[in-house]
Amino acid sequence: MYSPLNRNKWEPYIWLLPSILLIAIFVIFPIIIVFKLSFSEISKAGVIGGFVGFQNYKDAVQLPAFKTVMLNTFWWVISVVGISTVLGFIIAMVFNQKFHGRKIARAILVFPWATSLVIQASVWNYIIKYEYGSLNSVLLNLGIIKQAINWRSSYQIEFIWECGVGIFVTVPFVAFCVLSGLQSIDNSLYEAATVDGAGFWSKLWRITLPMVRPSLTVSTVLNIIYVFNSFPIVYTMTKGAPANKTDTMITYLYMLSFYERKKGPATAMSVIGFLILCICAGIYMITVMRKEEEQ
Amino acid sequence: MRDREVLRANRRALILVILGVVLSMVLLSMPLYSFNANVYTKKSPNTFVGDEKYQTVRAEVEAVADEYRAQGFEAEIDEDVLERVNSKGETTSLITFTVNERISKSPLSMLGIGFPSSRVLAALLCLMALALVLTLAGIIGTLDLTQRYLSRRTAMLRNAAAVALLLALLLVPVFVLMNNYTFSRQIGLYNADLLTDGKDALFAKMDRLLFDGRMADDIGKALGGLTMQHSGMLWLLLPAILVSLLSAAQLRYGSIQNSVLKAALYFFVVVVCVVTLYPYYVMTITAFRSNAETLDMYFLHLFPTKWIWSNLSDIIHRGVPRYLFNSLLVAGGATVLAMLCGIPAAYAMARMKFKGKKVFLGFVIMSQMFSPVVLLIGISQMMNTLHLNDSVLGLMLINAAFNQAFAIWLLRGTFVSISPEMEQAALIDGCGTVGALTKVLIPMAAPGIVTALIFVFINAWNEYTIATVLISTASNRPITVGITQFSSFNMIEWQYLFAASLLATIPVVILFMSIEKHLTSGLTSGGVKG
Repeated sequence: MYSPLNRNKWEPYIWLLPSILLIAIFVIFPIIIVFKLSFSEISKAGVIGGFVGFQNYKDAVQLPAFKTVMLNTFWWVISVVGISTVLGFIIAMVFNQKFHGRKIARAILVFPWATSLVIQASVWNYIIKYEYGSLNSVLLNLGIIKQAINWRSSYQIEFIWECGVGIFVTVPFVAFCVLSGLQSIDNSLYEAATVDGAGFWSKLWRITLPMVRPSLTVSTVLNIIYVFNSFPIVYTMTKGAPANKTDTMITYLYMLSFYERKKGPATAMSVIGFLILCICAGIYMITVMRKEEEQ
Repeated sequence: MRDREVLRANRRALILVILGVVLSMVLLSMPLYSFNANVYTKKSPNTFVGDEKYQTVRAEVEAVADEYRAQGFEAEIDEDVLERVNSKGETTSLITFTVNERISKSPLSMLGIGFPSSRVLAALLCLMALALVLTLAGIIGTLDLTQRYLSRRTAMLRNAAAVALLLALLLVPVFVLMNNYTFSRQIGLYNADLLTDGKDALFAKMDRLLFDGRMADDIGKALGGLTMQHSGMLWLLLPAILVSLLSAAQLRYGSIQNSVLKAALYFFVVVVCVVTLYPYYVMTITAFRSNAETLDMYFLHLFPTKWIWSNLSDIIHRGVPRYLFNSLLVAGGATVLAMLCGIPAAYAMARMKFKGKKVFLGFVIMSQMFSPVVLLIGISQMMNTLHLNDSVLGLMLINAAFNQAFAIWLLRGTFVSISPEMEQAALIDGCGTVGALTKVLIPMAAPGIVTALIFVFINAWNEYTIATVLISTASNRPITVGITQFSSFNMIEWQYLFAASLLATIPVVILFMSIEKHLTSGLTSGGVKG
């Protein structure tokens, strides 16, 4: 930060203006519209009526699938973010070592991140088909199994598959975040620790983890937001069937507003989701900042 | 350097190498495979155990069994009694007599039969013999020599021995899986007439292995009820060879800790890469299959029997080029717009001091928080008012807006990491701030800008949710929405779906791979530094 650029008090705001306009029109206005709609009466045809207070929120909470959907969303976020963070961390630790073909391995790791989620979900949909899926085909042709297995025999298992695909596409992001943190660690730290007789685990706890914590914070916060908001995987693989039992909040919301034409409760649910996200991200940011200040 | 310690350690390792190989040979010559062939079946309804009819049928079956025994088989008779109560309340029974033959075979007896697994076994044996020879050749006269002082030739011989043992170790699961495949899958497929090529040859080989060639033309019937089981002891081969391998590694390096760690590292990397690439393998091979083969109920082929290139031309006639073009427009337009708005904003964030900086940051973060789906109702209302519903332009604008946060974040990180001295010099020379940005900072920050650019492009290219709601005219669809036309409720044309997916995936994967190196540096710097 230096002064010569600040010749005009208003200059910085002019620089920001295009960006502010873009975000305001296409993100902030829709947010305001959704907030307003969540307190308005909306008919099935989409005609917007007057102010109805918290009626839409009451309707949303009383929907029969509300509890299942909220629980699903909870498990979806916790399992996908949690497991991919652990897996991504391990993969980053390994891929940070020197070995032949590291460049190729890292390039391969990028694949799931670069692929559209609809495509990814469609492919997995085909892989786990019972009647002709690729997983059965490969396992049978290798002689590992003797009979085709029904990989999606119940909706619980289907939901686990969805979480699995979620993890599959999230791991690369975490791995690369952690890798960027790992690369910033000075090797002399490890050498000094080795001289002092520190083993693998104490190096991991005392050096690696504290040093990559900022990267992990960034990836976890972003992942909570992305995973919570993720739509294509569940929508492509099960469409929430049977009877919203595999829906997460986001897909349920979509079904509510565009298939069942219940826009009132849907907007209320949007706002609820937004508030949940704000609270989660807020709590996380505050705890992390406090910890960093303490150190 | 010659050393008594080394002599002792090397001698122990040598003994372990030999012991491992001998142990695996012993295992291979044990009768670990047991077969149960059903050579004759007779069903007899309304028969009760011990009654007159039972005796006659039993005698009949005994005669058949004796016939087989006379030919030198070990035939056994099994009875299966099934009792039912019919509609009149009477008990009826059905006895099924089967003449079974139980055969035990050792893995070594499959050698020379000509199965795929026989060849694997032969290779495995050769490798182990080779490893023994190489170990011995590499150790004569150098048994007490410290590993560091080994001559090049000796080191190479010991290396080669370890590699041979590693390959032998890898062949064990291959052998087991191939046997499983041949005996429990291929026979069934042949008998169901799903495979025809090479049936006679395979059955003749089976005859030779199981019945010493005595079944001749009846072999097909005999193989109908064949079941195969291998004892769990077979898996002891793995530890046996592993012991040899580790000892060979010790002979080469003195200590095995490092080699084991290295091996574990490569194993992990290979597993991660294989799992990651698996969906892409499926996508690629399915894209070139015929429709019948994508829906193959019997899982016959791992690869297309014929690569159908016409799948590609078929999807071209179903609008895919148009969708790809729309995607290019949306992603390209969104990228340009996001950069045009994002670079100045990031510049101001990185270089200028002003009130409300934190507010702006919060504003940007908030725009990240809401997913497009949550806002879809708001967005579609907004687009209606702007008359941008169902248009490529609208999609472009929304994608640019939703990628602002990430673009600003990445760009700011890049700008902060570049020292401001050059710009200061330019400013003193009379350049305006615009000049300082375009002439000095942007060229210096080019790699970071390209990273951000590609990032936004890929995000916009892969976007699905907003597009699926906003776009209703078929000709305005981007590719992510366009591919869903191949999967309707009652029929999914997998080959077209994946051919189009392949076309949509290849460009972005290549783009992404090109910025992979910058991903590690660019991703978190924006959030961490400055």
